[in-house]
Parts: sequence; C-alpha cells; structure tokens
Amino acid sequence: MKQVVVHPERCVGCMQCMPACAAAHSRSKTLFGAVMEKPLPRPRVHVGVGLYGEGFPNRCRHCDPAPCQMACLPGAIYHSPETGTVLINPDRCINCASCAMACPFGVIRYHQDYMAAPGKTVAVKCDNCVGRQADGLIPACVEACMARALTFEESDKALKRKTDEMARRVSLGAEDRAPVESPGFNLLNAFKRAQLAVEERTY
Amino acid sequence: MAMDEKRFAAQTITEDGQLLLAKAERDQVETVWERHKAQQPHCGFCEMGLSCRICVMGPCRIDPFGEGPQRGVCGADADIIVARNLGRMIAAGAASHSDHGRDLVEVLLEVGEGKASGYKISDPAKLRSVAAEYGVASDGKPDLEIARELAYAMQEDYGTRKRGVQLLARAPKKRRELWEKIGVTPRGIDRETSEMMHRTHMGVDNDWVSLLLHSARNALSDGWGGSLIASEVSDILFGTPKPAQTSANIGVLKEDEVNIIVHGHNPIVSETILRATQSPEMQNLAREKGAKGINIVGVCCTGNELLMRHGIPMAGNHLTTELTLVTGAVEMMVVDYQCIMPSLGDVASCYHTKMISTSDKAHFPGMEHREFTALNAAEMGAQVVREAVENYPLRNPDKVYIPGKPITFMGGFSVEAIVEALGGSPDPLLDAIKAGKIRGAAGIVGCNNPKIKQDLGHTVLARRLIENDILVVDTGCAAVANAKAGLKSAGALEMAGPGLKEVCGALGIPPVLHFGSCVDNVRILILASALANALNVDISDLPIAGSAPEWYSEKAVAIGVYFVASGVYTVLGPTPPVTGSLNMVKMLTEGLNDVVGATFAVEPDPEKAALLIRRHIEGKRKALGLPSLTV
Repeated sequence: MKQVVVHPERCVGCMQCMPACAAAHSRSKTLFGAVMEKPLPRPRVHVGVGLYGEGFPNRCRHCDPAPCQMACLPGAIYHSPETGTVLINPDRCINCASCAMACPFGVIRYHQDYMAAPGKTVAVKCDNCVGRQADGLIPACVEACMARALTFEESDKALKRKTDEMARRVSLGAEDRAPVESPGFNLLNAFKRAQLAVEERTY
Repeated sequence: MAMDEKRFAAQTITEDGQLLLAKAERDQVETVWERHKAQQPHCGFCEMGLSCRICVMGPCRIDPFGEGPQRGVCGADADIIVARNLGRMIAAGAASHSDHGRDLVEVLLEVGEGKASGYKISDPAKLRSVAAEYGVASDGKPDLEIARELAYAMQEDYGTRKRGVQLLARAPKKRRELWEKIGVTPRGIDRETSEMMHRTHMGVDNDWVSLLLHSARNALSDGWGGSLIASEVSDILFGTPKPAQTSANIGVLKEDEVNIIVHGHNPIVSETILRATQSPEMQNLAREKGAKGINIVGVCCTGNELLMRHGIPMAGNHLTTELTLVTGAVEMMVVDYQCIMPSLGDVASCYHTKMISTSDKAHFPGMEHREFTALNAAEMGAQVVREAVENYPLRNPDKVYIPGKPITFMGGFSVEAIVEALGGSPDPLLDAIKAGKIRGAAGIVGCNNPKIKQDLGHTVLARRLIENDILVVDTGCAAVANAKAGLKSAGALEMAGPGLKEVCGALGIPPVLHFGSCVDNVRILILASALANALNVDISDLPIAGSAPEWYSEKAVAIGVYFVASGVYTVLGPTPPVTGSLNMVKMLTEGLNDVVGATFAVEPDPEKAALLIRRHIEGKRKALGLPSLTV
C-alpha cells in the first residue's frame, strides 16, 4: 500500500502543496474554479515555520490507533484499512473539537466544506486524496511538490532506502561519499542561520 | 511588558522604534515586521532564484535536490534561470534610478525653456562645469540657454544615438579600457535596460556568463548614467551640498508644530514643499490654527536630499516609515516614488494624518493624489501645505507620542565639499592613506530589511571600521542609521581609531560622512575615481570597499553590481537570489576578480563583514606598496 512520505530536509517552503490540496478538495477540482467557490476550499496540509525559517509540510499521519478517532464521541472518525486512511464523516461530526485536542500533530481544522451540509462547520483534515487515488491519481500535494519533499510510495521501500542511506553514511571514509544533496540550498540556509545568530546577539 | 521589550528589541536596535512598536501594537497597527513574519517560510525556489515566471509555457521551478525537474519547459537550466532573474532585478533597479534622473532632466529642460516657474538654477557654476563635460559651450551664454542645451545632451544619454554615456569620461582611463575590452561599456541608459528585458525574453540570451556581463553593462548605465545624472542635475537645480548641522530620529517631530513628512526619492516635490512651508502666509496660517510653526522632516531618500542641501532633519529610515505615523503627530505625509510601502495609507487611517501622492507614476491605496508637474509645482506645493496646516486642529492629543530626543550631527558631504574641506585637492586624504593613518575607505549603503535587526548591520559595521582607522562614507537608509547611532556627531571621533581621529579632527569632519541619498552612491564612484586618477591607478587598486548590510531592493542590486563592475569589492548582508546556481555564486564571489578586478561577498554578520573589508583593504595596501597589517 502506497503512502505519502514526508522528507522534511527537502522542503523548500514554497507552500505549493497547500493550494494544490485546496483545489483537490473543491467542487471544481481546478485552482481557477476553486478560488471562486463558496465555501472557499482550504488546504489540509499546512506548511509550518521551523527555527531557522525553513518550511515543514505538516499533514495527518493517519495514526492507527488514531487518538482523534478514539476521542470522537459521535463516531464520525473512522479508519479505512484499504488505503490506511483515517477519515471523517462530515454528517456525523458535531464540531466539538475533541479530535483536535487529542491530535498530537495539530492537523485538524474546523470550517465549512463542500462535502458537508451547507453552512455546517465540521472537522476537516487530510484524506490521503482517496478520491483521486480511486481515479488512478496520486495525492495532490505529492504531485505539486517539485522538491520531492513529499513522495507517494510503499512505506517498506521508503524505509529500505533510508536504511541504505544511513548505512552508506557510516561506511568508512564516508566523508567522501556523504550525499550533499543541494549545496545551494545548504548555502541559503547557512546565510539564514547567520542572520538569526546576529539577531540573537546582544550589544 | 519585559517580554514585549525583548520582542521589539529583536526587531530594531532603535529605541524610538521599539517604543513606537509597542504603541503600534496598542493602536492595533500592523507593521512590516508582522507581515514579514506572516510570510514565513519564504519560498525556497524564489529565494534561490530557481523559479521562472518569464513565459506562460511555465511557470517553472528547478528542484535544487536534483530529483525533480532540472530544466524549465523551454529547456533553461538553473544557471540560465538564475542569471535571467538577476538580470531582470538589475534592469528594474537601473530603470528606477534612471527614470528618477530623467524626471530631473525634464525639469532642467523646462527651467531652460522658462516654463518651470517653481524651479531655478541654484548652482550656475556646476551647471557650467557639467555642461562643459557634455561639450555644451557656455561662454557668454545665459544660464537658461545652457540648461536647455545640457538637458538635450543628457536626454541623448538615455537614447541609442551614442556609443557610450557621457560621464563615463570621469572614470579612470584604465577602467574605461577594461570595460571596452570586456564589452560592458554602457551605450545608452534606456538601451541597456531595454536590451536586458529583450535578452531575458524566452529564447534570446541563454548563456549565463553573457547574461551576467550584460547585467554589469546595465548596472553601469545606472551608476555612470542615470543615477549620476540624477545627482548632478539635483545639485544644479537645488544646490551642491555643503556640510551643515542637522538631526535625526523620531524626536525631530514637534508636539506643538504642524508636522509634514516628505517620503520617497526625488527632490523635485520635496523641495517645493519645503519652500511652501517657509512662506510667511503659511507660517501665519499655522499660528492661526494654534501651531507654533511648520516642521518639515524627511524619511528615506527624498529626506536625505533635503538634509544634504538644507539641513532638514530625518525622522527615520525605511523600516521607520510606518512608525513615524504611529506617533499620531503627523499632519501630512507627502510621497513621490520608490520604497513607499503601500501599507502607509492604512496606518495613516488610524490617525488624523493626510497622505498625499504626487507622481503620476506612483499611486497608493488610502492616499489622495495631487499631481505635481514642473509647471504647477509652486501652486501645488502651497495648496498641499495649506491642507496640512488645516489638518492640525484635527490632531488628537491623546494619541500623540513622540519618543526620543533628536541626535545632532553633521551631514551634507558632496565630493566638492570634501575636496574643499581638504583645501582644494584630494592630496591630504591620499597622504593620510599612504602614511597609514587612514587605512582606506568604505561605503556603507542601502536599505533596511526585516531579515536583519533594523540598523544593527549598518551601525556595527561602521563602528568596527572606524575603530580600525577606515573612513566611512554612507548614503540612504544606512546614512540615517549611522546618524541616529551618533557616528556623525561631535563625540563620534572618540569611537574612531587614533589615525582616523587625528585626520578627521584636524579637518573638522566626523569619521562617518553622510554622502546623501541612494542615487548619491555615484558620489562615492566619483570620489574613488578622483583618488585613482591622483594615484594613476585603477579603482580596483584602491584600498576601498563597499557594503550593503541590510539591502532589500532591486535598486540595491543595480548599485552593488555597478560598484563591483567599477572595481569596488562589495559585501552584502542578505544574499541575493542566486544560490540556485553555484556557477553564478562562484562567478560573483570569485570569478569576477579576473574580469573586473572585484567581487561580491555575502556576510550577514557585520562583525565578520568588517573583518572581510579590513582584510581586503590591507591586501590592496600591500599591493600598492603601502604599509599593511595582517587581519
């Protein structure tokens, strides 16, 4: 089963996953149409800011067992084993915010949604683009990510790759072969850290 | 409250700024710092120069990690995209300064034609000397005729009829020969900007080296063309600056007077406003309205223009512009163009402040438009000042808060004024440099940027340089930062090293010299040329450096590139969007040395930037055979 994998070291903070997500969860499914819809569709992936101004795409981990699911009194939150996805039934949701309090990652929002009854505020979060997947598409955030900070792959495969990467790093003489993924991005981040260090200095 | 103080102290080193940030929060005024925070994280593609919006086959992005797309739809790789983006920044910067220059030339022409009643020739001697450089004969001719002919000649610099802009002749011969050899002699001011836009259109110049060379030519068309014309014509129309006492910080606003702030860049409007405030009619009207007088102060570069020529005080620099309005004590802000945040109208709406835009080129939300032209300037100036005075009774004293006391300092250093202070020739300065009393000189120029704690970059760098006997000249927002920090005040010599202290003390000048607005960066080029010519060397041989510790704008990129292309090593605080191409980074920071004899460096830490500059200056001293130190 393929899942969305986040590679935080690759996020350049462009936020393109956000409008792509919002458009994918709109009636029209296009960005141009989405911005004119009511209710205005909103992203379910949220790019946060790290200590050094770097981006991080924060999305639902689809936990199992999911704390949000366990906190949901009306039973609106359920687990779909076929896609490994935690889903919310907007008709059952009572907008009580218990799920958000239980969620360790802060990925649940409350607003109107085209899938919910008109005018009703409901809990909304990432649904792994199950609708798109059924049509043979990959999740919208992954499709939008040009830096490959979000990938859609078998988790076994992703973990194997990470294991091999780690193994190569501890190889003898690894300094020579250490993967410097993007010297330009490292340089940019070095400048940003230097700026922050100056800010924190007292005169 | 302690928590708040710490928070605001992280945004600006200025005490008046910190106090007004607290008031802005109480008054629920949003500032540039909050908007900067809301924009985090910034898009890495854009920060690295790897996004391209030039055509609609795209927009395109290059994945810096090498897995995603490595070429745009057209096939451009990272090097081409970064070079095109940088080129367009330079075109925009050069266009801005040069268009400012063009507006001044138009006023000069209209003065010459006898149409611009609000303006006159204030420095006929400079008119004649600049006219001579343009080959305009002046014997026996009246000033107005010379002005007309000079304006025509300058307008030709903007076009395509010439092989090179006229004032390049002021550069050392060696430098001109180098430009000719590498093919970067700017031919016409508008031509180079226009050609840059052409070259960066899809499917034109796709060699990043050639794009970078044209970037240099485009920037030089600003530094030795548009900006230089702007400075020279401003001197002709409004007077060549002479050293004079003035003051800076928010405390220059007055609780019992009508406060008018001029903001923007071109002195065409601000000079008119200044004259209108001085009329007895307006002064009387102010008294009738219960004010003790009319207080005109500046922010940004049009403020610097008035400061240089009339000693008008400065309320602050770029990041202080919103905060000046938060004092609640400003009757009117009059703006022309460049660096005027479109948020200002919103800020003003929290108070009684009237906002007036004046240029057909620059309209803003929440501002009333009063179109100034050379023909109506005098009447329009009077009308606008009247509106400001009539606004005084609407000021709400409960909302007024003017923190801080004015810092008194000396400003107004044109090249002419410095040569005069030196007794008529640059030799005493050269002798002091040769003897090692002054190790060299550095320009600290450019803006504020919320990425750097306001004024920290400028003031720490200036302190470290003068401590080490390096004479500092500054312009624009850097000049205001250093003035507020007392680096141009009577006590500033105590902060200078022994050699610099001795020389400046003998000449009666501060160790940091206010050279004017951001177009006045060309005054630094002219001084450097004079020193190089006196020593019979190139600019790149001199123990001098440039720096822009807090730059933000496209104009600053053009300035940086014309400095480097003129042979001045330049250290930037924030990095320009080029790290997406390591070829470009290497060329800008190393390779250019073999091409133009100078490079860029990027160093956000002003302590380290000071070391880079000292090391560079000592290296140049050594190469000239002068006593040198190891840094």
